[in-house]
Amino acid sequence: MSAATTDQPLPICPRCRSATTEIHSTSPVPGVWTVFGCPTCHYVWRSTEPEQNTNPDKYPEVFRLNPESLSELPVSPVIPPLRPPPAKS
Amino acid sequence: MHAYQDLREFLTVLDQEHQLLTITDQVTLEPDIAAAACALAKMGESTPAIKFEKVAGYSDARVVMNVHGSWPNHALAIGMAKDTPLRDQFFEFVRRYHLYPGTLERVQTAPWQEVVVDKDVNLYDVIPLFRLNSGDAGFFLDKACVVSRDPDDWDNDDLENVGVYRLQVKGPNRIGIQAVPQHDIARHINHAEARGEDLPIAIALGTEPLITLMAATPMLYDQLEYKMAAAMQGKPYRLVKTSKGLDVPWGAEYVLEGRLLARQREPEGPFGEFPGYYSGCHNYPVIEIDRISHRKDPIYDSVYVGRPWTELDYLQAMTTCAPIFVQLNSEFPEVVAVNALYTHGLVVIVSTKTRYGGFAKAIGLRVLTTTHGLGYAKIVIVVDADVDPFNLNEVMWAVSVKVNPRGDVFVVPNLAENLLDPACSPTGIVDKMIIDATTPIAPDIRGNYGQELDRPPGTAAWLDKLGALVKGLPK
Repeated sequence: MSAATTDQPLPICPRCRSATTEIHSTSPVPGVWTVFGCPTCHYVWRSTEPEQNTNPDKYPEVFRLNPESLSELPVSPVIPPLRPPPAKS
Repeated sequence: MHAYQDLREFLTVLDQEHQLLTITDQVTLEPDIAAAACALAKMGESTPAIKFEKVAGYSDARVVMNVHGSWPNHALAIGMAKDTPLRDQFFEFVRRYHLYPGTLERVQTAPWQEVVVDKDVNLYDVIPLFRLNSGDAGFFLDKACVVSRDPDDWDNDDLENVGVYRLQVKGPNRIGIQAVPQHDIARHINHAEARGEDLPIAIALGTEPLITLMAATPMLYDQLEYKMAAAMQGKPYRLVKTSKGLDVPWGAEYVLEGRLLARQREPEGPFGEFPGYYSGCHNYPVIEIDRISHRKDPIYDSVYVGRPWTELDYLQAMTTCAPIFVQLNSEFPEVVAVNALYTHGLVVIVSTKTRYGGFAKAIGLRVLTTTHGLGYAKIVIVVDADVDPFNLNEVMWAVSVKVNPRGDVFVVPNLAENLLDPACSPTGIVDKMIIDATTPIAPDIRGNYGQELDRPPGTAAWLDKLGALVKGLPK
C-alpha cells in the first residue's frame, strides 16, 4: 500500500464503480495518505487502507452498490408535504 | 456527584485513577485505532480509556477511545468511586434522574472558540477521522452531541434537543445523519421541512462525559438533556450559544455548525451497529457544515462499535435502564430495579415484588409498551425482588428453578421492533417473549416452593468482615 498523490489519475469507486470520484483531502503531513470520495454512492476511502476497501475487485460483494438502484433505498424520515404559506393580512 | 468542566479534566481524573492508557508510538488511522479499541473491549469490564498521541498523517492530532468503556470509567463519569458496584450505580443514577430539572449557566465565551474555520471548510484537515469496521461506508462521527431546536417553537428551551446520532462524513463539509422517526430530532426535521426551511444544527465533539450519557438517554420530548445533566451533576450546566442560537457545551473540543438541508435525502451507511451487524443503506438527511470551531490542540473522542460488548454498551447502559425503570415504577411501585444492559435493551430483566398471582406477567407485558420497550425490548425476564437483576448468576438461578415453561413462557407475535434487530421478519416486526421467573403465588399455585434455602445466621456480618479483610490482602 502506498499513499496516492494528486497527480495520479483518480481511482474508480470501489463500492459502486462510478468513474467520477473526488479527492476529499490529503494528509496534513504531506505524502502519507489521500482521502477519496464518491459523489454517487458517498463511499469514502483512504489510499492506505487494505485492498478490500480500496480495490473494486477486492471490495466485498455484500457491500457493493448499483448506482441505478440508489433511489430505491428506504427513505427516513419521510419528507412531509409543504405547509401552505401563511395567509397575508 | 462531580461536575467535570470538560473532557480534559475527566481524562486527568482517569489518569490519576489508573484508568487511562497513553500510546506514544505512531499509529495508523486504519486499522490501528479501531483495532486497539476493539481489543480493549475484549479485556474485561475494568479497562482504561486509551489515548493516541501520534497519528500517521497528522503533526499534532490526538484521539481518545474507550473513555466510557468500563464500569470504573462509567462510575467516575457520574462522579462515583471507581469501584462502585453496578447495582449501586443504577440506584444513584435513578435517584438523580428524579431531580430533573437542573439549571443552566449561560456564558459568552468558551475554549472551543479559539480557532475558527469558516472558509474552505474541510473536516478531514482538523479532525483525525477513521474507519471503524471494514464494511462501514466511510468515516463516522459516532460520539457527537447533535443540537437542534424546534422551528415551530424556536425559543422554547425545553424543546431543544441534544442527541447522539450517527453521522457519516461524506465530504469536506458534508455529513449524513441517521434520524429515524422515533428520534426527537426527527420532529425538528419534520417541522423544518414542512416549512421548506433548512434546520440549523450544531455538533459538539469531545465533551465532558456526562452530557454524552444524557444525549444517549431516551427522554421525553420536552425534557432538555442539559437540564438533566445539571440535575445529575448537582451543578448548573455551562453553555455557550452559537450565532444561530443553539446551546453548546462550554467544554467541547470541537463545535461544527451547519444546516440540515430541507427535503434532501441521499445514501447513508452501512455502519457496524450495536447489535453486532451492519445497518444496511438508507436515504437519510444531509447536513452541510459552514463553520468549524475548535481548541488550539483539540482531542478527538470516538467510540468503537462492534459485536457486544464494546464501549457503546457502557454508554447506553444506565441510560437505557433508568428511563424504563422510572416509567414502570411510577405505575407499579413494586418494581425494584431494571437491567436493560444487553444490546441496548433487546433483553430486559426486571426484579419486582408480586402483588398477587399473575402480577409478574403483567409487569413483563408493560415493559413492551414503555417508550424504549416499544422498539427494543424483545425478551423480558421478570424475577423476584430478592434477585439482583444485575447479577446474572442470581438471574439464571431464578430462570432455572422458578420457570415451568408451560405456564411461565409466552410469546406475543408480530410486534414493532427496531430496524437494526437482525431477527426481525419482516424488517421492523418481531415476536416478543416474556419469561416469568418469579415464585408463583396465590391464586397461581404451581410448583413446590415452600422450602427455599436461606443463608446461615450471621452471614451478613461475615460478609462485611471478610470484605474488609480481603481488601487488605497484600497485592
